[in-house]
Amino acid sequence: MIKFISHNNFIRLLAQLNKDYRVYVPVKREDKRFYGRFENTPTEDIVIGEVRAFEPLKAFFFKGREKVADGFKADMPSSGDKPFAIVGVKACDLKGFKVQDYVFSAKSGTTPDGTNNDDTDPFYLQMRDKNLIISSDCTCVIDTCFCLALGVKPYPQDDFDINLSQINGGFIVESSSEKGEKVIQQNLSLMEESTKGKLSERDKQRDKVVKQIEKNIQENDIPSQKVFEGIIEKNYDSGIWEEEAKTCVECGACNTICPTCHCFLLYDQKDAKKMARFRIWDSCMVKDFARVAGGANPRHKLWMRLRNRFEKKFDFFPKVANLYACTGCGRCISACPAKIDIRKVLKKLVDNKK
Amino acid sequence: MKNPYRPIKAEVLDVIEETPTISTVRFKPEESITFATGQFVEITIPGVGEAPFTPSSKPSEKKVMEVTVMKVGKVTKKIHELKKGDVIGVRGPFGKGYPVDDFRDKEILVVGGGCGFAPLRSLMYELFHRSGQFKKLFFRGGCKTSKELVFKSEIDTWAERKDLDLKLTVDVGDSQWKGNTGVVTTILENIDMDCASGIAIICGPPIMMKFATKKALEMGFKEENIYLSMEKNMSCGIGKCGHCRLGTYYACKDGPVFTYDKIKNFSNIWD
Repeated sequence: MIKFISHNNFIRLLAQLNKDYRVYVPVKREDKRFYGRFENTPTEDIVIGEVRAFEPLKAFFFKGREKVADGFKADMPSSGDKPFAIVGVKACDLKGFKVQDYVFSAKSGTTPDGTNNDDTDPFYLQMRDKNLIISSDCTCVIDTCFCLALGVKPYPQDDFDINLSQINGGFIVESSSEKGEKVIQQNLSLMEESTKGKLSERDKQRDKVVKQIEKNIQENDIPSQKVFEGIIEKNYDSGIWEEEAKTCVECGACNTICPTCHCFLLYDQKDAKKMARFRIWDSCMVKDFARVAGGANPRHKLWMRLRNRFEKKFDFFPKVANLYACTGCGRCISACPAKIDIRKVLKKLVDNKK
Repeated sequence: MKNPYRPIKAEVLDVIEETPTISTVRFKPEESITFATGQFVEITIPGVGEAPFTPSSKPSEKKVMEVTVMKVGKVTKKIHELKKGDVIGVRGPFGKGYPVDDFRDKEILVVGGGCGFAPLRSLMYELFHRSGQFKKLFFRGGCKTSKELVFKSEIDTWAERKDLDLKLTVDVGDSQWKGNTGVVTTILENIDMDCASGIAIICGPPIMMKFATKKALEMGFKEENIYLSMEKNMSCGIGKCGHCRLGTYYACKDGPVFTYDKIKNFSNIWD
């Protein structure tokens, strides 16, 4: 279903959603956007369009720290809070869902040799099921954006409940799930028909942003995923890894900020009287990540862990799930204190294979 | 929905000291856990953490389970301090064990090293239980010194079995040791079996696995008939947490038992 909503009515829609959901909207602080709680009054700093938020969307679904076992009780620990409605989610973060969904659902149970099991992470799946995703088209780019290189368009095409395309006077509203359809139906009085003129305005806006990203990719000489096949295998023993890892300080920022990184630690509360277990984000860049109690460590050198990070994203995931676990969001480029630039690493890997 | 991270409460029934650094814990989970030999469980010490172990007990024993644990880290140190009546947690079983059904009518060589005897004891129980189904059964085991040999009295009874050809070795001999001296590969010579169609099962420390696999290949075992129990940092047990990745597999859900052909092309498999 496609409709149009004016800016004023859009604020009313958010207020309406606030009854059933905890509504989060992107809020601008200096030159960055962060998800902030919508408090029923429109503020100047709410930016629905523009580009992705500073923090990855995964933080809402796969929390940085979450209690997953409370004593030996059979029932699952649950917050009982209202579900989230997250507004202004960008297409790059929706691609992150493809990876997270694969990992935490039963899909990852199927292995290349055809065996499978159906284990799931019920905490993640419950969050995915309950929450509402209201995505939006990007209306500008920042210099680290390179989504098109990973086959992601700067406007959502799937994995959303409702998508918003900002045009003059308001937004084109489009549903892509039953849940989204229902929200539009319940709020039809706030909507208008979307005209051909409005849709062509949206398409022009989309084309404009695509061209800006194309320019970004060209200027930074970023290779396309079309030439990624085999880049890890062919460069496995190359000196690129050692060279790139030279400045790495092992902080794990690239992991925490990445919309596709999913690794976690099961951490037990240090209290002998009460067993409580937390699932906490982990980082494969940290030395002990793969170490076993006996002391053996398959990746004892930092450059091996950097290689592993790229191997996971550009070799493991394409082999097991037929997708590159990178969204082109560019967050790791901005987050890295050592200025390790994924675009440049990919370029080196692609060039070196010739 | 089932919570895969919740441990089942279990009561410690007994702690048996095997060697100064290896103990066997016998425990009874509140809900019975059925495992196939070679699968592993995660043992929780409340307030400390959890760690993966392959049970050393009989898969056919449904109510009580045993793990044989070497003192190497935080959790294993606490396991050694357990006493009868203590409460622990257990999750699992996870992964794939030994496909014993596929070993029918085959000659089987089991090679164990050090703490690798633990999962192998469970396997041997299963093989003895189904002894008539296999053509021949060989066990070759090694450890550093005779003091570090686990399950001593039990292995003495294995030596008397007619359905098993058993030989042991220690890396460094002493006055009490009457058997072979040398690493385990030294007792893999002159085994009267048809290696080309036989099954080799290898479990032990990484260095021993590496050389025993090399030796097994030289002896003529097919890559797809060499079964290896891979020690990786298994944590969640269900292929989600990312810690135990081995190439395109996770040791926790696709292993921990792998045939050599499946993993030989991955890098650093022995590290």
